[in-house]
Amino acid sequence: MSTAVDEPGVDTPGLAGVTRGELLRAALKVGLLGFGGVMPLARRVFVDECRWLTDREFAQLIGISQVLPGPNVVNLAVIIGSRAQGVPGALVTLTGILFVPVMLLVVLATFYASVAQTGVVQGALAAGSAAGAGLILGTATRLLVHTRPPLRGLATGASAFVAIGILQWPLLLVLPALIALAIAWEWSASR
Amino acid sequence: MEREPVSGGVGILAEIAWRFAALSLVAIGGINAILPEIHRTVVDVEHWITSAQFAELFALAQVAPGPNAMVVALIGWKVAGVAGALVATVAVCGPSSVLCYLALRGWHRLRDSPARGIVQRALAPVAIGLVFASGYTLAQGADRTLIAAAMTAIAAAAIAFTRINPVWVLGAAALAGVAGYT
Repeated sequence: MSTAVDEPGVDTPGLAGVTRGELLRAALKVGLLGFGGVMPLARRVFVDECRWLTDREFAQLIGISQVLPGPNVVNLAVIIGSRAQGVPGALVTLTGILFVPVMLLVVLATFYASVAQTGVVQGALAAGSAAGAGLILGTATRLLVHTRPPLRGLATGASAFVAIGILQWPLLLVLPALIALAIAWEWSASR
Repeated sequence: MEREPVSGGVGILAEIAWRFAALSLVAIGGINAILPEIHRTVVDVEHWITSAQFAELFALAQVAPGPNAMVVALIGWKVAGVAGALVATVAVCGPSSVLCYLALRGWHRLRDSPARGIVQRALAPVAIGLVFASGYTLAQGADRTLIAAAMTAIAAAAIAFTRINPVWVLGAAALAGVAGYT
């Protein structure tokens, strides 16, 4: 452990003292405006707007969310909410990010059938999903630039991208092996 | 979606609950990682919906505001109405959320251990690689024309190198799509 000072870890001091009302407001914003996936907006709201997390802390929390089973953004909501306000905080954050959008979606789906085949809707959906993919790639780039991983981190990160994204290898086999390798590498580098 | 959602009896709700609760605990890497398994379960094993309906529900959950995991709520809705949507959502998120909460508490107790810092520093770059992978997978499905590929590239650059709100980027793209540029 050579760099204990500039490694804030996942203790996320920015989340201390965040109220349930603030949690709900931020979570609703992420849930209701997060078209085409929530991750880009979650980074925007929690890091840039609320300043509860740094980019480095956000990347680390995303790492934990991905390693644990369950939807990543749902895990992220549990972590952020419970860090700030315990179990009630987690429930508040989940409500804003997940349950309110789900209720809205059910209403939307009921009306969707009647507009699904119109050119306007098809055009907006096609363009929206193209831009949505770009938002996720841009968020990944931003996290990469702001966290500046060392060469070994670039190697494990690039391996994850190639194995899962390009080669489409099964995640349940690749991820444990890759994580074990990354931890072993990081551990030997810290000695 | 020509078929009206069937109203949910307790039996079908229980079936939805255990199917998705089991999937919740194997969803390492998120919902996109277990999409093939969800497809196998609801289309091939349970015959709740057809493969085409699955694709349509997935697209709808992708573009609607909220997490991609909402596709599971839509499947529940299709099978058993509003009650089905709620049961499916709680089932797919509940077990993993409880596990996440408990894991984080254990993790917090290790805060003074050097092992924790090592694990965190090791995980972050892998996580970023996985975010790149999901963006790439989505782009492959979405970028069927040069204009769509350009939209992906512009949106990525805007988010990576400016402080623009992602909502505006998506809104602008949707407007361009409505105007016929896709």
